[in-house]
Amino acid sequence: MAKFALVDCNNFYASCERVFEPKLEHKAIVVLSNNDGCIIARSNEAKAFGIKMGEPYFKVKELLNDKSIVVKSSNYPLYGDMSSRVMKIISQYSPVQEVYSIDESFIDLSGFSMNLNSYMQTLKQQVKTWTGIPVCVGLGSTKLRAKLANHIAKIYPRFDGVFDIDKLSEHRFEKLLHSLEVKELWGIGKKSADRLNRVNINTALDFYQADIGIIETLLGVNGKRLYRELYGHSCLQIEQISPPRRQIVSSRSFGSELSDYQDVNQALSTLARQAVIKMKRQSLATTSVSVFIQTNPFSRYSSCISLSKTIGMSVPVSDESILIPLVSKTLEKMYESGYQFYKGGVMLSNLTPDKSQQDLFTQESKTSKFYSQHPYGNLIQYASELGNNKWRSKADFISDRYTTNWNELLSI
Amino acid sequence: MTLKTQQHGGARTGAGRKVNSGKFKEDTKVMRIPSSLVDRVKSTLELYKSQLKADVRVQIPAYDASSVLLPIFTSRVQAGFPSPADDHLEDTLDLNKHLIQHQEATFFVRAQGDSMLGAGIHQGDILIVDKALVAKSGRIVIAVIDGEFTVKRLHKYKGVITLKAENPEFKDILIKEGSELIIWGVVTSVIHQYL
Repeated sequence: MAKFALVDCNNFYASCERVFEPKLEHKAIVVLSNNDGCIIARSNEAKAFGIKMGEPYFKVKELLNDKSIVVKSSNYPLYGDMSSRVMKIISQYSPVQEVYSIDESFIDLSGFSMNLNSYMQTLKQQVKTWTGIPVCVGLGSTKLRAKLANHIAKIYPRFDGVFDIDKLSEHRFEKLLHSLEVKELWGIGKKSADRLNRVNINTALDFYQADIGIIETLLGVNGKRLYRELYGHSCLQIEQISPPRRQIVSSRSFGSELSDYQDVNQALSTLARQAVIKMKRQSLATTSVSVFIQTNPFSRYSSCISLSKTIGMSVPVSDESILIPLVSKTLEKMYESGYQFYKGGVMLSNLTPDKSQQDLFTQESKTSKFYSQHPYGNLIQYASELGNNKWRSKADFISDRYTTNWNELLSI
Repeated sequence: MTLKTQQHGGARTGAGRKVNSGKFKEDTKVMRIPSSLVDRVKSTLELYKSQLKADVRVQIPAYDASSVLLPIFTSRVQAGFPSPADDHLEDTLDLNKHLIQHQEATFFVRAQGDSMLGAGIHQGDILIVDKALVAKSGRIVIAVIDGEFTVKRLHKYKGVITLKAENPEFKDILIKEGSELIIWGVVTSVIHQYL
């Protein structure tokens, strides 16, 4: 029988902060998104105060202050480094690993003959002592069941962080499913949940007891797979190599509201470069570029507007000397003055492998040749990328990059 | 005489492809591979083949290896004198390998103050800290007492735990009951830079 484990870090961002600031242990912590916009992570203590995920920072500022909840700006260099340490340790426990997100990883334990529960306890202990990050492990005969098991390992302390859902009796298993809304099941998004709710499938148990034909009609083959996974037939394989991205978005809330065209242009040119870098790293090219800007929907004083425009191209392009000016030109066409823009971004979609099957009439531009061949080519920027940096994000509460910068090491 | 015995059918000696004349120049085996790994195995084989063709010594890099230090290829150059060092080729010296035992558990920390001068830890030095090691008595540790970091030598004797400074100007810290002591990591080396 197949057997999977899902290893998930507990409150990962908050835990990373605690490793280097032990006095934060047992304190309520929230972590803010890029630009200190909204709350993207909470420690258990902060959850207990009723702080919600995604809440805009300014809305809960007073509450955070009253309850002396620690506020941190997101420190992705730190989180990324800690994540790769955790993932490497996990990889020692199975030859087949899927890094599912920054703080979650599936491993395949099919055919392992030892006591899996104590094997996973060892893993949990090792990650904790080596990195300081607490994790929980869910075991199950399918990925979906392992995910459910992890959920239980997190909620009930008596399982000591490791839970095997296959050991649950059918009766207890159904009771568990009854306590979950169907949208809480892994792989059921909001749209699917709405469709299911319309035919009175509300809890995970309703889903489990529904007819497979109904599930297939409503959700297609993906829904059918989840249904079978729930019953213990493994349909979802471990994906060791992440599938190529279908689109790349680079967007940001600006540090302050921008009313000047030049400022917005600087922001979007820089975001365009970031998107191109991400795309090139995966050797992809794009045939569709979208640019969007919007005003603050929470603002009471100014009127709201959201502008966007998409440009299609006849051949896939990966060259920044084409794409960055294109973004600028697109912005110029759609820009409307008189508004305070607070967010913007660039999306590259229709991505294909960058084989540069050039069309007959284009040649590699001289600038792009220069970029790739000159030793300092990557230092060259477009004039549109320069400016007063008014758009750059706020990170007022950021901790040091303890593990990736010699000047910011932990001082003891 | 005996040559005439094989006139009808059967294997003829010397016929067919020569042994080890294939693209890999050695015996091959049939094997089942999970389909998710096919591309990876194929690309490794391609690399191997191209290197065989180029007649260089083959080093297959570990998948996802962050960096691979390649040994210098054994020279097969016909012209000129062979390097007398060829037979003595060894690994390059890697400080990371020398100083770091558990890569994922190792952190660098900057020392503040002079409480550990006697142990050769100066203000501003970089400490290499391994969180995987057991904090045995006598080791220099990074400890957390009531939420604050400190670096001291750990002493355990008859159930009494003391954190000793290595500078007469500093007092030892006796861990009283009720105060919380966490050993964050064990200091394995100190880097003291002169320039």
